[in-house]
Formats: sequence, structure tokens, C-alpha cells
Amino acid sequence: MNSILISIAMFLLQWVNVPLPNTPRLPNGKPNLTAPVPKTRDGNPDLSGIWRVADGKYLQNIAADGVQVPFQPWAEEVFKERQANFGKDNPSGRCLPHGVPDSFLVRATPFKIVQTPFVTVALLENQGHYRQIFTDGRGFPKDTPATWMGYSIGKWEGDAFVVDSIGFNDQTFIDAGGHPHTEAYHPTERFRRRDFGHMDYEITIDDPKAYTRSWKATVPFELFADNELMESVCENEKDSGRLVGK
Amino acid sequence: MRTIRVHSLGCALSPLRFAAMVFAMNVAAFAQWISVTLPNTPRTPDGKPILSAPVPKAADGKPDLSGLWRTADGRYLQDLAAGLGGAPLQPWAAALHKERSDSLGKGKPLERCIPHGVPDGMLVRNFPFKIVQTPDVVVLLYEEFNHYRQIFTDGRAFPPETTETWFGYTIGRWEGDTLVAETIGFNDKSWLDNSGHPHTDALRVTERFHRPDFGHLDIQVTFDDPKAYTKPWTVTLPFDLYADAEIIESICENEKDREHMVGK
Repeated sequence: MNSILISIAMFLLQWVNVPLPNTPRLPNGKPNLTAPVPKTRDGNPDLSGIWRVADGKYLQNIAADGVQVPFQPWAEEVFKERQANFGKDNPSGRCLPHGVPDSFLVRATPFKIVQTPFVTVALLENQGHYRQIFTDGRGFPKDTPATWMGYSIGKWEGDAFVVDSIGFNDQTFIDAGGHPHTEAYHPTERFRRRDFGHMDYEITIDDPKAYTRSWKATVPFELFADNELMESVCENEKDSGRLVGK
Repeated sequence: MRTIRVHSLGCALSPLRFAAMVFAMNVAAFAQWISVTLPNTPRTPDGKPILSAPVPKAADGKPDLSGLWRTADGRYLQDLAAGLGGAPLQPWAAALHKERSDSLGKGKPLERCIPHGVPDGMLVRNFPFKIVQTPDVVVLLYEEFNHYRQIFTDGRAFPPETTETWFGYTIGRWEGDTLVAETIGFNDKSWLDNSGHPHTDALRVTERFHRPDFGHLDIQVTFDDPKAYTKPWTVTLPFDLYADAEIIESICENEKDREHMVGK
């Protein structure tokens, strides 16, 4: 909660307007957010741009749209406990990464997609961290150590960019609400840019140790046009005294 | 686990620890993500990358700096001015530099998981960094702390006001086959290297990235900070391509490594 307040304060400090090239514009100079999706040189939709979640409710609960979450009993208990203590053990409260997909869900800290033929990078404003999604034809490594962001491989299915990730530790929260996962976490994310200013993000959560079956949530993203990420370095324990978790 | 162990070494600077780091580098190489055979790499008949092959070109005809790089000479991490016979420090800055050197770098921001800054983030040999070049932006992905920098090449100017940041605000332009990146908007907290060369918020860094062949990159860095130095000074840093490898995640887990610090 407190991190949201901090985020709002930071939002007011956002870098001043940057009129970006390659942005279709209305006669009044404003970005035309319903213009067609730009294409890359290789003919795929170009997802590049600065994005932020269209509705803050998904940060609190990624299943907010009435998704039934098929918890394993222990996972439901952990979830309830985190709800009751306002997520006081959320690793991001200690400057540790938000993880997947939580890092996309904070509206006040947008993220930037930089798409190239061999790798698509997600630069996260929060904590100045990044994710790489490899599209150079590699497979998953034989051994993946447990990491916060996982190891991600992407492919195009029509106009959707489909990203498989494995190799997670069991520490991140799926959302600030506290949906847990284990090291068996295997999210599949589908990014589909509908038009210049809008992208649909669908995540399928597969973690048989935490959930009885895989489940799916859809989150809309908006283009944060003519803007830029600002540096947001989490300065260690500095903010922890102000956290509101019980 | 490599991530944590090597990180604590990377944070340290005593000669003893430096020796340990050289040892750890070999360990780190083994723990690196298994070899990734990257496409678009010129190779010998037996499949080895040809590091002396010509520089690849981007679609817009510019040299393509993309790749995984690491410093070719670990001494710059310890002292950026090593080959210069010292930096032109103002008296107060010389005193601070001496204090930091004498205390073996106690109080470095990175001990508290705060960024290395520019160019310190590129100087740790066992933490490579990746350049991802597009026409509009050149991104530097640091293995260390999973942080990044952006060099904007889309024609924008510096914002009228820059807030103080660890990595600054960077604008790039091409001069022939050299990418020239200018950075302002720094805070005064980062150290330029482990020996503790200080800077103020007046720091302006100019980096000239030049890739002479497939396997090598030089970055000539000029530090202009009239509040801390009597004149601008320049070092040229050599980097090797870290071929067929990948960055591994290296998150600084907060205070966890603090007890391992050796600073006095």
C-alpha cells in the first residue's frame, strides 16, 4: 500500500514529455492511440513502447475479474495469511524483484518493451530491473538455477507473442495480493497489441504444486505515449520502516 | 550458489579479495548459463567464434555494438586512473579519495545493493553486460544487480530538468563508426571505481563506443566534473566479447552480503 503512495509521488516526478518519433498523431498533435499496430522489419507486430497496466485492481488481485483460482489447500492458506497481514513479507518490500507478472501490474511504474529479432527486452521502471525474452531459436538451458525473473523464451503465434518461462525461485508473489507459486511455476504469457495504444496480456499460470490445474488471467495494458521511464532504484531498507504491513 | 558468492566478492576491494576474485572468475565461468550457440556469429570450421572477424552492421548501416561484453582488464575496477599516474583531483576530492582507499572502500554504495553507476557498472570482469542496439535506443543490460541503462538515439534532447539519478540521463549520436554518448543528471553518491574516485552532481560523462572487430569493443570515457577535478580526464577501457554466453540473474539480496564485506 505504502509502495503505491511512493509510486504516486514518483509519478508526479515523471520525466517531462518526450515527443517520440514514429508515433501516429491526430491533427492536434496528440498520439493517435487507435492507429494500426506498427510492424517490424521482419513483418511481426512491433510491441516496442512504454506500457502500463490499464487498471490498478490487478496488482491487488490478478484474478479480480472473477477468475476462480484452483488453489492447493496449503497455497490457499498462504494466500489468506498474506491477505490478512497486508503482504508484509512481499519481497518487493525489501527491494527484491517484483517477479512475473507482478512487475507489470504497478500502474505508477510503467515498463518499456524493446523488441529486436533476437531478443525482446522488458525494462521495468520499478527497481530498475529488466527481463530478457529470447527469440534467437535457443532452447531452455539443461539446468536453470532458481531465479526471480525466470528464463524466458518467446515465439510468434500469428500476431501474438507467446512467452514461456521456467527456472523461478518460490519467493515472488504473483500479485501484491499474495498469490503464491513454487519452483514448479511455469507461466505462459501472450502479448497481443490490438492497436497503437492498447495491448492485451494473458497469463496462464501452471504450477501443479500450488494449484490443482492451470488457470488464466487477462490484463489490459495502455501505451504511456510520449513519455520515458525514470530511474527508480530501491534504496535498500530505507523505506522499510514506512511499510504498513502488520 | 554463484550469484550470491560472486556478488559478495564483486563488492569487495582489498588486494587479498582481489586475488580471491580472480580465482572466483574461473568458478563463475563454469557456473555461467551453459553455452548458447548464438546466431550471426562468424565461426571457424570447427565452430569457434572468430573474434577478429569484421564488425557486424545494423540494418541502418551503423556498426552493431550488440553482444555480451566484459572488461578485458580488471585493474580499471580497482583504479580507473591506473594508467594515467593519477586523476586531476581537486584537493577535497583527493582527500576523500585517499580516505576511501585507506579504508579499503568502506561505505561503497554497492555494499548496500545500490547501483555501481557509470562506468563502474561495466568494470567488474565476472559481471558481463549486454548491449542491445536499436535505431532509437541502445540498451545496456548489466548482469550485476539486474540493472540497465538506456542511451537514447531517437533525436531527443536532454530534458530541461534532470532529477539526480545513479545512472544519469544519456543521449547518443553516431560520429562515423563511433557511438558518442553524453550523460548528465547524476547524483553525487556513486563512486567512479572501487578506489573511490568521487564525483559531484556536476559530472558530465562522455563515452565513445567503438567496436574495431567482432570480438573487441573500446569505450573511451571522459569525466568532466569541475567541482571535483581540475580538468577533464579521459581513459580508454578495453572490452572482450563474451561469445556464446548469456547473462545470468544477479540480484543483490539486500543486507545479506554485508557481513562478508572486508572494508575497515
